[in-house]
Amino acid sequence: MMRQSKLIGTLAVLPAFFIVAGFMAFPIMFALYISFTKTNGLTFDWIWFKNYTDIFVDPIVHQVFLNNFKFIISVPLVIFTALITAILLFERFRGWKFFRVIFFLPNVLSVAVIGLIFRNAFGYDGAVNQFLGLFGVEPIQFFINANYSIFIIILALVWSGFGYQSLLLLAGLTSINPAVFEAAAIDGAGWWRRLWSITLPNIRKVLGFVFIINILYTFASLFGFVFVMTAGGPGYETTTIDFLVYLRAFSSNNLGSGAALAVVLFIFIGLLTLVQNRVFRLQKED
Amino acid sequence: MSDSDSISNQLNTRGRWPIFIAMCVLAATIIYPLFFVVVTSLRSNVDYKRDPFGLPTDWTVDNYFKLWDEYGVGRAFLNSLFVSMSAVTLILIFATLAGYALAKLPVFGAKYFTATFVSVMLIPGPVLIIPIYLVLARLGIVGDYAGLILVYLATGLPFAIFFLTLTFRAIPEEILDAAKVDGAGFFRTLWSIVRPMGASGIATLAVLQFLGTWNELIFALILIPDAKMKLLTPTLASIGKRFVTDQPLTSAGLFITALVPLLLLTFASKYIMRGLQVGLSR
Repeated sequence: MMRQSKLIGTLAVLPAFFIVAGFMAFPIMFALYISFTKTNGLTFDWIWFKNYTDIFVDPIVHQVFLNNFKFIISVPLVIFTALITAILLFERFRGWKFFRVIFFLPNVLSVAVIGLIFRNAFGYDGAVNQFLGLFGVEPIQFFINANYSIFIIILALVWSGFGYQSLLLLAGLTSINPAVFEAAAIDGAGWWRRLWSITLPNIRKVLGFVFIINILYTFASLFGFVFVMTAGGPGYETTTIDFLVYLRAFSSNNLGSGAALAVVLFIFIGLLTLVQNRVFRLQKED
Repeated sequence: MSDSDSISNQLNTRGRWPIFIAMCVLAATIIYPLFFVVVTSLRSNVDYKRDPFGLPTDWTVDNYFKLWDEYGVGRAFLNSLFVSMSAVTLILIFATLAGYALAKLPVFGAKYFTATFVSVMLIPGPVLIIPIYLVLARLGIVGDYAGLILVYLATGLPFAIFFLTLTFRAIPEEILDAAKVDGAGFFRTLWSIVRPMGASGIATLAVLQFLGTWNELIFALILIPDAKMKLLTPTLASIGKRFVTDQPLTSAGLFITALVPLLLLTFASKYIMRGLQVGLSR
């Protein structure tokens, strides 16, 4: 009887397992194999570490990694905005639940939609130029300038990301034991003092989590924005690693190079996740 | 606000007014761009350039008709609907089976199954595009919805199983035992007890997965090269590229693409907000 139900249980998991193994786990292994070969997708020549050594001396790859680091500027901006929003939402003023849904709204939209809203707004005849025109400013070609382009993508990241993250932080705030606040209030601690000595220290775990997911975003989720807003240009100045993987995959005759880049990205993200786990465990222990 | 609510770190009523106003300003930065898109989509390009911030002098839905009929948006919309619905349905079926088994039944090597699902959950899409493209090419299903749906299935399942395992764990053991005593088999239990008792969790998952597949761009772009079969997000992206100087037209495309997620947020925000809490706990 037990044996039979164990068999049924296993059979129920297997279809999902085969799909995930076949189209998630296997491709990762396959990417690793491809990264050691020179290939056009049909024939595979084993060339050991040549793709990797090529990447490490490739000036375009250097530039692209540097670009990704520029996008890290968005991390403190998103977290700061999200934190302020969360602290204010935590005041539970009238209608706070409604605001919660509004702030979450960009999260249900596709990156293609968000990217194009910003591309339109900063386009030559877009809203921003039209607005500046009211003050006699000549229209600016924002997207032929790398710094403007990066700034606009960062703005899109903040706009679309702060709401969800403020809700994560709000969940952290809500889980603080109210008795702590009461005790502090009785001791005469003011609002700012309580914010600094109780609220913030108590959500440092959630803050850490939010910090890590933001770093992950800037390394692996910019493809959509870059694709619809700048296509990586001017030159390679707004190309990110994930966009470069795409470029290498579909516009070069060596897929191995793109795969090697993907593997490096994967290892980098894996390390970040490990760091995150380590930090979380440490905090659980103390 | 009642007194029982004032137990957190809260300001008095007078201190709340600035907060309320700050929140309204912040909310406006979200709402106004969307409002601007909708208004812009309902006017001609000439009218837009004359006075972009005012209301249109001539309201028109021409942009929508043009996109829908001439530029393939109508077909792309239906394609996206078909692919998303199929992917979500299959995800729900496979994730319910696996989630129920992992939550309530003995499974050979359950630990290893769970470890596999959890460890692939955070793999970013860009890492997968090259190998998945090659694997599907080898199977001969690039340019076929079957391939794309399979990819959505594989990338969606790990979180779906994780989510449903948590949901189904909450079902009381006694009820399942009672069903067993009554002679209910595996599928009977799944359909008559697990499905209704886990209904709100399943609904939450369905909404989240639908949003995910509807909004997905990179795989939809590379796996469906045929123009007639294109999904909505790649179609929108290419329209955005082609008509840089026709903002009303691209705005209409934006609104068409955003419409389904916005409707879901309006009518299923309860489920979306609930899914968020689980997203945090992982």
